[in-house]
Amino acid sequence: MNNREGMTLIVKTVTRLTVWIILLYGFYIIMHGHLTPGGGFAGGVILALALLNVMLAFGHKFTGEWLNIHSLEHIEAASALLFLIIGIIGIFSGGSFLINFLSHGKLFHILSAGTIPLLNLVIGLKVAMSLFLVVWVLAGLKILKGDVA
Amino acid sequence: MTIYLLCFALFLVGVYGLITKRDLIKIILSIGIMGYAANLLLILFGYRTGAIYPILTQSTSVQPMVDPLPQALVLTSIVIELGTTALLVAFAVRLFQKYKTFDITKIRRLRG
Repeated sequence: MNNREGMTLIVKTVTRLTVWIILLYGFYIIMHGHLTPGGGFAGGVILALALLNVMLAFGHKFTGEWLNIHSLEHIEAASALLFLIIGIIGIFSGGSFLINFLSHGKLFHILSAGTIPLLNLVIGLKVAMSLFLVVWVLAGLKILKGDVA
Repeated sequence: MTIYLLCFALFLVGVYGLITKRDLIKIILSIGIMGYAANLLLILFGYRTGAIYPILTQSTSVQPMVDPLPQALVLTSIVIELGTTALLVAFAVRLFQKYKTFDITKIRRLRG
């Protein structure tokens, strides 16, 4: 972590502490999506911002070594497939797409609402990975110096 | 009615920037402002004064709720806006690589 790339030591130290807290908060928002405001999209954006925080503080190169970018791409592709699989299981068990095939549970408990927490988790992973990878790809483009209007 | 007109004024700010600015980055920001104004208008259509958020809670009293349909619609709209903005930024980066400028009056001739 002694590379010269990225921001100053203060920013790096604070980021090293806070990135895990931000990731935990993102998963909290995703897992409580059926009870409180938030859900898959909002929590996924928070997860992506935690990873982007690392990219801003430590630089593009360090983040590429810290995270396995190829596996993130695989997670992004697999989450769309998982959503489809959960929907198709609904066809075979109940008769229509995305029908609820799990137990409803007790109201206002965290393990309730059937398949909605699962779908929230899948959507959250998809949003987080795609949002992070878009900015990752844009930040990796080589830009030469030019005159700005 | 006033809030809808203010929303339209925000949209006009975006149109003004889109028409008058020559910097590609400022044009992308103007398109973003126009999108935010449209989203804000849709959210305001569903707003009811004194209503609560449209989420089932443990309170037993029945109160009027804000319309959740425009909120779900705007969530989709925000995602699409994000995609278009990312595409525009990618185009701007490619144009800068070819022409070495963001000035749209200087991006005229084919250059490869």
